[in-house]
Amino acid sequence: MALPQPAQSSPTLSSNAERRNFLKTSAMAAATAVASGSSTWNLPVIQGSERSDDVKWNKAPCRFCGTGCHVQVGVQDGKVVAVAGDRNAEVNKGLLCVKGYHVGAALYGEDRLKSPLLRRGDKYVAISWDEAIGVIADRIAAAPSQFAFYGSGQWTIPEGYAALKFMKGGLGNNHIDPNARLCMASAVTGFLATYGVDEPAGCYDDLDKCDVLIMWGNNPAEMHPVLFSRVVDRRSRGEKVLLIDIGTRRTRTTTHCNHYLEMKGHGDLAIANGIAHLLLAKKTYSQEFVSSFCNFKAPDDANPNLHGKSISFEEYAEHLKPYTPEYVEELSGVPAEQIRLLADLFGNPELKITSLWCMGMNQHTRGTAINSMVHGIHLLSGHFGRPGDAPTSLTGQPSACGTVREVGTLSHTLPGGRLVATPEHRQQTEEIWKLPPGKINPVPGFHTVQMWESFCTPKAEGGVIDTIWVQVTNPGQTLPNLNKLFNKKEGMKEKFLIVSDVYPTATTRLADLILPSAMWVEKNGMFGNSERRTQQWFKMVEPPGEARDDCWQTIAVAHRLFEKGFDGMKDRDGRFLFEVLDQESKPVPIWNWKNYYDTNVDQHLFEEYRLFSRLKHKDLAPYAEYVKARGLRWPVVQVNGQWTETRHRFAGGLDPYVSNGKRIQFYHSSTKDDRAQIWFHPWIPPAEVPDAEYPFMLCTGRVLEHWHSGSMTRRIPELSRAMPTAYVEMNAADAADAGIRNGDQVIVESRRGSMEIQAWIEGRGKPPKGTVFVPFFDETKMVNNLTLDAVDPFSKQPDYKKSAVRIRKV
Amino acid sequence: MQPNQPSCIVLLVGALITFVAIVGYFVGLQSPMNPFEKTARVQGLSRIAGATRTLETIETGSIPATDYSQMAMAIRAKASSMLAQNDSPFSTWSIPQYATTEQAAVELGADNKISLEEKRLALATRKKNRAFNGAPPTVPHPIAETSSESCVACHSQGTQTATLRIPRMSHPLLSNCTQCHVGTASPDMPNAMVRANHFVGLAAPEGGPKAFAGAPPQIPHSTWMRVDCLSCHGQASHRGLQTTHPWRQNCQQCHAPSSTLEQTILESNAKFIDSINTGSL
Repeated sequence: MALPQPAQSSPTLSSNAERRNFLKTSAMAAATAVASGSSTWNLPVIQGSERSDDVKWNKAPCRFCGTGCHVQVGVQDGKVVAVAGDRNAEVNKGLLCVKGYHVGAALYGEDRLKSPLLRRGDKYVAISWDEAIGVIADRIAAAPSQFAFYGSGQWTIPEGYAALKFMKGGLGNNHIDPNARLCMASAVTGFLATYGVDEPAGCYDDLDKCDVLIMWGNNPAEMHPVLFSRVVDRRSRGEKVLLIDIGTRRTRTTTHCNHYLEMKGHGDLAIANGIAHLLLAKKTYSQEFVSSFCNFKAPDDANPNLHGKSISFEEYAEHLKPYTPEYVEELSGVPAEQIRLLADLFGNPELKITSLWCMGMNQHTRGTAINSMVHGIHLLSGHFGRPGDAPTSLTGQPSACGTVREVGTLSHTLPGGRLVATPEHRQQTEEIWKLPPGKINPVPGFHTVQMWESFCTPKAEGGVIDTIWVQVTNPGQTLPNLNKLFNKKEGMKEKFLIVSDVYPTATTRLADLILPSAMWVEKNGMFGNSERRTQQWFKMVEPPGEARDDCWQTIAVAHRLFEKGFDGMKDRDGRFLFEVLDQESKPVPIWNWKNYYDTNVDQHLFEEYRLFSRLKHKDLAPYAEYVKARGLRWPVVQVNGQWTETRHRFAGGLDPYVSNGKRIQFYHSSTKDDRAQIWFHPWIPPAEVPDAEYPFMLCTGRVLEHWHSGSMTRRIPELSRAMPTAYVEMNAADAADAGIRNGDQVIVESRRGSMEIQAWIEGRGKPPKGTVFVPFFDETKMVNNLTLDAVDPFSKQPDYKKSAVRIRKV
Repeated sequence: MQPNQPSCIVLLVGALITFVAIVGYFVGLQSPMNPFEKTARVQGLSRIAGATRTLETIETGSIPATDYSQMAMAIRAKASSMLAQNDSPFSTWSIPQYATTEQAAVELGADNKISLEEKRLALATRKKNRAFNGAPPTVPHPIAETSSESCVACHSQGTQTATLRIPRMSHPLLSNCTQCHVGTASPDMPNAMVRANHFVGLAAPEGGPKAFAGAPPQIPHSTWMRVDCLSCHGQASHRGLQTTHPWRQNCQQCHAPSSTLEQTILESNAKFIDSINTGSL
């Protein structure tokens, strides 16, 4: 692998600069004297250099959510000074949201971490990187199987790939899992159970084409504002689009919607069944689509597994029999009339219907079920495979798809949709990684909840994980049931927590070793967004102090182990696992920070990773193509010598892998017959329901101004001033009953923990009676001390939306 | 012909009514609808000052019943009592640096003379609710949490009153205002600590480049989302940013946008003659 390309002198950077200079000079061709005029028509001109002249602009995807907007980053004197929506980007067409416009300030919070810090007693002491890398390497070498890596959907693709190769290839240890387990694991299992392969068939273009947009437990006006505006702005242009909000509380999204269907938690399971029931009862389902492209499935209770058992159409119909609109009303709280409305829409083949969902359906103890069922309604009604007709799952992190789902940084997966449990897959991976056969461990590692439970359990009681390295995430705030899964670490001397981050967080609070990381445009990177779009950017500014790339940190530890003679870090020829050769075939010492940017490590890692992408028809283009593009949607294949992206999968004429002449082909079908699976799942109540002792249902979530745990956005003054702190949203009638007024401090407590917080009544969201909402962005208001750690049986994703609590005035 | 008695009275009464109506019409035309009498303004101010004193004693989060003409002052007083920091967006409200209604009256054909101080003041004020030049302005007042209609109600046209400057939208209607314009904390929210940040935003240009002395300056900023020039340079804007020649309507006839600032960089240059296009003659 010899792919020399110094990142600092990339062709686009230099040619852009030249082009700008040219444009500038030609725009002012005749300019010889720039002077303030004396005409009375002139505004007075303040003399001085026009600073914007020396601003260099370059593209990058936004650092925050999974939408994947492209921004233009303005850099002046080595600092980011401005951000603009990229008008060449298809995703956001020149616009951003409030977070995106202020993303530049995320780099400049006063308390950026600037040197490695080691805990000595109650204090931290600054240590050198050399020492820090040594501490980690020693810890791993002492007990490689007791080490775990906790990563993130904010890892860049090369970072996640390096960490995965380090763990599964280097250590033969599968205890690597990302925070995306808490975020979209159920979306993955939903796709796998239905299509046999992960990730959406549609893309954001569907939002421009659909006649009906159904949002399932989703508040895109706040969480994916750029995508939401893309739809509502169609109305401003005179187009007709029907918006339906199926939600558990009124939100900013609701105000734009034609219909608001207010459901109880887990009501979605009943609603989906109710729609399917009516489609069959009225014979408005698509008989042609179902008979040509679908099978039916139901859970196999005797032997629970992701692929369940096959059932006949008649059995499917029989299962659905009880779900009459009236029964669904009883289960979900949504009036029978509105269930009929949904069924009529799905029953109309003329309409184009797009479904959107995010955390509402994923953070759900029946997340796999509801994901499969929404796909099922689209398949049953034939609302699939045409632009505008798509079930589309959104992600919350910028590379949940790119780094977690595609690279496979989960405890049971390998890159390219390979599984550690499948011998053939291990073999393929060992081949690409040049490992000795049998190196990869066939037993899946701990998933997130297990990993942290094990870490917080004393060794004597069987807690085998003794060291966790956390990169690019904040589990001390975002894990559910923190008192059980995180806070117990405090004072456990035998356990060692390593945290790479950019700011002090709730996680660094208990860290034994803190490593300062570079972020966003302080490093090269690649992300993959919610619509299968892979994006690339170059380093534009230097990280502060001693902060360094997460990917370098992983490689440096790997090399330290290699130096110590640790066999795992050698390939079968005895070479370093992450060896990069220069043009003269000499290894570039990328484990030395001063040499890390002598080559483009991202490009080397990506070109290797790309080989995996072809194993499951998720082909990625060469790195250089992404440098030119504002992201490309996979599969990216060569058509007449041009690298061409794919907008709609499984549809003839739109997806290059669909055989000629086929209208629809599910070429990864789990039943090997090119058919997708329509699932029946019964309605099951939530894991915890309100009772006399804890009478309120607590839902947690996000707000427009803050991103996830707020470690970045809470340091951006504009955003922090707008949304200074977390609050509990209550129904006005409930508040009146409890004598709580707007602004009162209240205690919210569950069986697991309690918090003091301010009540906000008739605020931004309006929960129905019996429910409350608390956002999780505020590290001073830890709502995850209260949440439940019950998980979906297949995806192992916890449910953050349904915990029973009680409330009293302070 | 002898006119009969009743019709004569009718005629007389009719004439009287007509006379009163005509006199009334002209009197009405001559007297201004809202006379700007100094006494009225002083009286108004003292009443507002009184209201402010009352407000200080009122609990955070509520505004006492206030008559409509004083609403802006009342909100402002409450806001400044809540956010007393100097860098708060509310502090911009306390400086009446924009024109009053009287000054804003446009005399057709007259030059609008603008001093350097006014321009500097305008730029400084404008900076207070923008993280960097080009950032969508933040909203310096509390908003309805769930409705974009209420934004459009005031900002679709924009206006200037004695106490408020309401900028007109500079872009075509987009229906999700809070996507780009970040608000201010709701009055119901506590004022929490904001962490320090050393981000230094791109400074606003202080004038457009001119090809030669006296030439119309080029637009020194992107025109993306800023297509309505009068939103910022019109008579309802900051005094120091207003056009000096308000009678001219077709701005881009003389002021050209800048290709370097428009963020729509061509992927490749058309190369007709290499030496010219590379600029290395």
